[in-house]
Amino acid sequence: MPSMRRWTRLTPSVAEAASASPATIEAHGLAAGKGAALAFKHVSFQIAPGSFTALVGPNGAGKTTLFEAILGLIPPRHGGIQVLGETPRRMRRQVAYVPQALALAHDDALIGREFVSAAFQAHRLGLPLPGSRRRARAAVEAALDTVGASDLASRRLSTLSGGQRQRLLIAQALVNRPRLVLLDEPLSQLDPAARDWIVAVAADLTRRGIAVIFSTHDINPVLRVCDRVLYLAQGRGRIGSVDEIICDETLSELYATPVRVIRDGGRRFVFADAPAA
Amino acid sequence: MPEFLQFAFMRNAFVATTLIALMGSLVGYFVVLRRQAFASHALSNIGFAGAAGASLAGVDPMLGLLLFVMGAALVMAWTGRDLGERDVSVGMILMFSLGLGALFVNLYSANANAAIGILFGSVFGIDAGQIRWIAITSAGVLLGLGAIFRPLRFASLNPQAARAQGIPVATFDTLFLLLVGAAAAIAVPVIGSLLSSPSSSAPPPRLRPGVAVSVWGWGSPPCWHCWNRSAGCCSPTTPTCLRRRASPR
Repeated sequence: MPSMRRWTRLTPSVAEAASASPATIEAHGLAAGKGAALAFKHVSFQIAPGSFTALVGPNGAGKTTLFEAILGLIPPRHGGIQVLGETPRRMRRQVAYVPQALALAHDDALIGREFVSAAFQAHRLGLPLPGSRRRARAAVEAALDTVGASDLASRRLSTLSGGQRQRLLIAQALVNRPRLVLLDEPLSQLDPAARDWIVAVAADLTRRGIAVIFSTHDINPVLRVCDRVLYLAQGRGRIGSVDEIICDETLSELYATPVRVIRDGGRRFVFADAPAA
Repeated sequence: MPEFLQFAFMRNAFVATTLIALMGSLVGYFVVLRRQAFASHALSNIGFAGAAGASLAGVDPMLGLLLFVMGAALVMAWTGRDLGERDVSVGMILMFSLGLGALFVNLYSANANAAIGILFGSVFGIDAGQIRWIAITSAGVLLGLGAIFRPLRFASLNPQAARAQGIPVATFDTLFLLLVGAAAAIAVPVIGSLLSSPSSSAPPPRLRPGVAVSVWGWGSPPCWHCWNRSAGCCSPTTPTCLRRRASPR
């Protein structure tokens, strides 16, 4: 894992800000959806600064919709949500969203450093001035160092594996020093070694005071590092520790059908508990 | 002064092509980065239909060209929200426009040279009035792209993350296509709609914007040399050019 010294030097206020703020996200009775249907309703949760939250649920459970609500891209239908004590739209620049690596074009001729630097103060109009370029270079090197991707800085995107691309996407998200990082299914189609690396990178961010919400279908890769699990299913949501959420009772209640959780060597598998014939 | 610059029509051609090259280098940078080469080339071809329609209506072909190109840019932006889906709508708009162009040319009983000239351009037929419009448009396109450079670059590389940051990706998308349309409209009378495509002058997308704009310099000196060498045996074929060649310097 890359050293923490450089990041600390560049972002001295991150840890202070993290400890000063009571909650990175507060949602009460939240309901959201696209079109006429609601993806979920009555979802309440708090995300603490520097915490690792696994957002788990089947396809269509509303994980991406929840991210959109956190980013202020869709308004809540009911209830409310605050990000860093403000409305989500006002705090967008404190939040970084990391899409799946698959969203990147595969034949891109850009090198890693240029890809990461494209996000630096990207909301600003006009060409970057010389002073801004120096700051951008420092921020890019720090972000690459944080995700252990310094060796990818000079490599073309088209030559990178899925895991390496995912690391660059996370580095790009970090370049503006966010206080909350939303990772949208970063483990999709990655091999086990790349999965472990991405989970370790995400866990490392929490040690720097950044809150992480990690969306995934499979809880097992993040079991060892996640502080809490936010489980969405059947339009409902529950948050708690791994033991509180990944258990027969809670999941059966969420799915409104008998569900069995089987533990095997530290891993957990969820099955629909089919009635005996 | 190089020999070829002693002719007024050569000076005009030199200024026009230099301005278009400068503009095209930055437009082309984004066209390649956003994988919109097909859209940019289609916009140039669509101009032909506009010019033919304007000839039929008895108005300036340039006006028809500009209206069609900018209108097509708006329709492309509206119909293809996702960059990856856009090629289908671009293809349909292009085919529809080329069909309209062929119809207009067929309906036009008089000489449709002005519209046909749009297909091939007339680099030696540029007059001072056109130079003024090329200068204004080039400056406008360069300033516009310079203004939206950072958000547009981020939105081109990672549209989902850019949208999450509050960058109005769809608005920048439309703005960019309008700028490409303006660039195509002004370049077509010089280069011709068949050859004109902002991406054809694009530098590799790895280059920084300053380098991208100055990339025209790599090609220009050899180009100027060729022009200088060919000035002695230049055989321009368009009527305007022939008139200029016949006139005193």
